[in-house]
Amino acid sequence: MITSKDFDCNYENKWCPGCGNFQILDAMKSAFAQQQIPPEKLTLISGIGQAGKTPHFLKCSMFHGLHGRALPLATGTKIANNDLTVVVNCGDGDCYGEGGNHFLAAIRRNPDMTLLVHNNQIYGLTKGQASPTSSLGMVTKMQNNGTSSSQFSALAIALAAGTGFVARGLSGEPEHLTELIVKAMNYKGFALVDILQPCVSFNKINTLSWYKERAYKLEDTDHDPQDFAKAMTLALEWENSLPLGVLYEAAGTPFHERVPNLNAKALAAHDYDSKLMAETLFKNL
Amino acid sequence: MKTDVTLKIAGAAGQGIQTIGDLLSEVCHHSGLFTFSVDDFESRVRGGHNFNLMRISDKEVAAPGNRLDILVCINKDAYELHKQELRSNGIAIVNADKPEAGDKGRFDIPLVKLAQEAGGKITANTVAAGAVLAMLGAPFSLLADILKNRFAAKGEKIVALNMAAAQKGFDEAKDLSLETGFTWEAQQVNNVILSGAKAAALGALAADCRFFPFYPMSPATGVVTNVVSYTDKLPVVVEQAEDEIAAVVMAIGASFAGVRAMTATSGGGFCLMTEGLGLAAMTETPLVIVNAQRPGPATGLPTRTGQADLLFSIHASQDEFPRFVFAPGTPVETFETMKKAFHLAEKYQVPAIVLLDQFLADFRMTEVNTLKVDEQIERFYKQNDSGDDNNPYLRYALTQDGVSPQRLPASGPGLVRVSGNEHDPEGHISENAANKIAMTKKRAAKLPDMIKEMSPPLLANPAAPVFLVGWGSAKGNILEAVERLKAQGVEIGAALFKDLWPMDRKAVKDALAGKQLIMVEQNESGQLGRLLAQEAGISAFDSILKIDGRPFFPDYIVQKAKEIMK
Repeated sequence: MITSKDFDCNYENKWCPGCGNFQILDAMKSAFAQQQIPPEKLTLISGIGQAGKTPHFLKCSMFHGLHGRALPLATGTKIANNDLTVVVNCGDGDCYGEGGNHFLAAIRRNPDMTLLVHNNQIYGLTKGQASPTSSLGMVTKMQNNGTSSSQFSALAIALAAGTGFVARGLSGEPEHLTELIVKAMNYKGFALVDILQPCVSFNKINTLSWYKERAYKLEDTDHDPQDFAKAMTLALEWENSLPLGVLYEAAGTPFHERVPNLNAKALAAHDYDSKLMAETLFKNL
Repeated sequence: MKTDVTLKIAGAAGQGIQTIGDLLSEVCHHSGLFTFSVDDFESRVRGGHNFNLMRISDKEVAAPGNRLDILVCINKDAYELHKQELRSNGIAIVNADKPEAGDKGRFDIPLVKLAQEAGGKITANTVAAGAVLAMLGAPFSLLADILKNRFAAKGEKIVALNMAAAQKGFDEAKDLSLETGFTWEAQQVNNVILSGAKAAALGALAADCRFFPFYPMSPATGVVTNVVSYTDKLPVVVEQAEDEIAAVVMAIGASFAGVRAMTATSGGGFCLMTEGLGLAAMTETPLVIVNAQRPGPATGLPTRTGQADLLFSIHASQDEFPRFVFAPGTPVETFETMKKAFHLAEKYQVPAIVLLDQFLADFRMTEVNTLKVDEQIERFYKQNDSGDDNNPYLRYALTQDGVSPQRLPASGPGLVRVSGNEHDPEGHISENAANKIAMTKKRAAKLPDMIKEMSPPLLANPAAPVFLVGWGSAKGNILEAVERLKAQGVEIGAALFKDLWPMDRKAVKDALAGKQLIMVEQNESGQLGRLLAQEAGISAFDSILKIDGRPFFPDYIVQKAKEIMK
């Protein structure tokens, strides 16, 4: 029986006390335990930022890569070995800013993996600059007259680009978040969970209570996750109310089923065959 | 009797110039002759002015010729552009419906009209091939064999159409015979015609590379295009990435999971890949990148050739780390180099960069076929058979030779932790000063063994007091220039670099000691010369540098070398 304790790791945590990341980490461990995935069968891939450090703080195999590039790194890993269980941790700046093009491309490819975006609407690791998800006009040390770019509506863009599983969680709702992560990991294809979280050091506006005052759960409504138009409306809901839960879920064909050589078995699982190689390469030379 | 003939086929893009060249090559190949064929084209799909320059010889030739024995002009503009390149007794065929009274050696043949008579305008290229082969003294039966083979899949009607077209061209030109000494006879030969791009693809596949993420960029696209046709037989995936950053990072992800992967690009794309190059180096993940060079910063000249990325490749990405840089000289050498690059990248867990250029990527050359696949591919990953809290697997264990045992993620009890941050032996982020020193030294500790893997420069006529020194695709041109200069009584040799980095300083010093050196490179500053100065303390050079975006010709090197040695 695997429990979330099995993922505890003695590597020193480097987040600020009170950071929303702690609850996200706990929810991840609970979600892996619920699915009885042992640490050695888990591959976490991450970008750079406070969220990118997540895989260091639990037991798993991991590749902590480059800022913005977690998704192509994870895609390459999945193409090589589709049998791996791959979960990606990114921040809002990492995924929607530096990695924006990769985010759109990953949605279109639809690799069978889960993307967790730790969205605190601010750059934490670089100490408090505006992120793509900061509200227009948000004042920071760098944007001292307020941000002049409008807010990146990640969920709406994900839906418009064709993501088959779109959910929003809140770090302050760890049990609900655990459920969302489990659902995302069970989805066959590219699943996005955008996770709202406070940044206790740099975001003085979007605090945990700011989120909690506005958040409500879609499970408590009559929302049908297959209703794309409604999902789009929910994705654009902001400021006064924040829907949490699965906004949209529809079956699609994951990448490995679209590519003939990935269909039957993992690329890494083939044996080298010198006879076949010689025949294939040299026959018509 | 000539046994070394140069011909040019010129016209607009889309007029099938390459088809004529390919047909001629096949016929020559069929008779055991050697060809060297290079295309000159503009960065456009239709129109403009393009040509194929082909050399036919009874011996292997690794460089283009530039004085023309035969000029085939698909349009009249081509004649005006190239007529001055003809030898005094050269022959030009010009496609014209009505013959014009013209220069000596110019013969107008209505290629399109003859094709229409044969049954279709589309066969004008076959008419031209027929005409050229008649001039070269080849029997029609050889061309007939090739046409039957080439068009068999398209049905008897198409074969008959092309045979008729070829016959028309052949008959039209049979009185224009050039006096050649070729033996035209079908024979079994162990030769192969390859481009550098195709050879790179075959070499990568032979090294068991299974994943080719890439972003299109001339002149590297052909490397990956050549892989595509094998994906229905081999467990291989080609994926067009959203940009070069994604391409290189996907390759790293696949390599992390145990699949050999590579990407191919040109200088501008390689600029974007430098971040990924550093990631591969820092995480010690094997990676192979082909950089098919083209001239100029930024967009430069997309379809032209150059050798100006040598120092960039050696230094690309921030800070310092070991890497391999290779620059093969011919297609067969490219095949071997790709196998070596994959083997060494994995053995030492470092990036390997293979430098081609537009010239080498695109020219097609007959070489003796020494291509082989290995019975087994030596893999360097270790069994993942241990690892727990008390005794964790150390991905970056400190070792004497700097190489830490590499395992695959989720393949056993050991957790495989990889980080682009500076990390401790377990793979966790570490800012500890002693650890930083130890890790930097560990990565650098691979260099002595890596250097042992490098072949010294190939020497030609090593006793000569003067060396032409070059690298990569300049090889064929330089070797031919040496032969010609020797024939003229000039005491000259050559040193040719294929394995460029890391450099075996002692071997290089020994090879070049006491020689007068003339650098022969396609860049503005003599980059290999600068590298030799830095690494081997060799500071006095003359140089023959060509930066017009067009390949070297042996004639050019011969003339410049004589000027320098006067």
